[in-house]
Amino acid sequence: MLQELKLNNTRIGVLIGKGGATKKEIEEKTGTQIHIDSEEGTATVGGEDTDKLLRAIQVINAINRGFSPERSFCLLDDEDLLLDIIDLSLVIENPRQLDRIRGRIIGKDGKAREQLEDMTDTEISIFGKTVAIIGLPEQIKPVKTAIEMLIQGIPHEAVFSFLEKKRREAKKDMISYYY
Amino acid sequence: MASDKEKWGIAHIFASFNNTIITVTDLSGAETVAKSSGGMVVKQDRNESSPYAAMQMAANVAQAAQEKGFVGLHVKVRALGRGKQRSPGPGAQAAIRSLARAGIRIGRIEDVTPVPHDSIRIKGGRRGRRV
Repeated sequence: MLQELKLNNTRIGVLIGKGGATKKEIEEKTGTQIHIDSEEGTATVGGEDTDKLLRAIQVINAINRGFSPERSFCLLDDEDLLLDIIDLSLVIENPRQLDRIRGRIIGKDGKAREQLEDMTDTEISIFGKTVAIIGLPEQIKPVKTAIEMLIQGIPHEAVFSFLEKKRREAKKDMISYYY
Repeated sequence: MASDKEKWGIAHIFASFNNTIITVTDLSGAETVAKSSGGMVVKQDRNESSPYAAMQMAANVAQAAQEKGFVGLHVKVRALGRGKQRSPGPGAQAAIRSLARAGIRIGRIEDVTPVPHDSIRIKGGRRGRRV
């Protein structure tokens, strides 16, 4: 089975890695063949095992959306992890607004992004017009809502207290599930 | 891809943020072989779109399709599209993976989300919309 993916020109180098190291690692870990056409900006992934092929595609997509190879390889280790992409180009009206929204999500020295990641145990990458999240499905939901809140212009403290509330609720849910 | 003996079909996976619907049809798409949706496998409404529900649904559908002699399925994934979000919900990936696990061969995976060339005004008004 073959699957073709479109790549961002600036991420092709990252996907290939130093001397092809990253590409080789993905190929070895998933048992797939990856062919990268750097002129067209496409990657073709082929493999027998569909399950593993889909994993490889997710890792390539994660790298394409700005994750470092190290961070995206966690997708290979845990099967339940999902990659979710929020497209900011649907929300913005002008480039200045894009800069502001991105700045709000990243925060000073990446502090807001780090706190979002810490509170929900996810990985977040802001790249170009997209925000990509790696995490478990039940964690992705609150993070997505939080990022939407930041886009709307709700103050950071309010967003973080919302996440805190969600986290407590999730804990409560888990406890009531067991007893 | 398929020889004369092998029977292939299409799995239509409609993954929105509130539900996932899987319909398996023959190659023409006119004859339904098996179908499943979130409400058939979970109790709580909010779980209908969860990946776990999608996995169960895919497993059920795969079994039903295999009993009817299907060896492989092409996959057509669809999100809400049109004026709404264009990326499939959380159930889509899980469903495809679960289909593959159940021993069904996966052919082509295609995104058939309806994308307009010029779109209606997106919900949310002038001051922006929640993504």
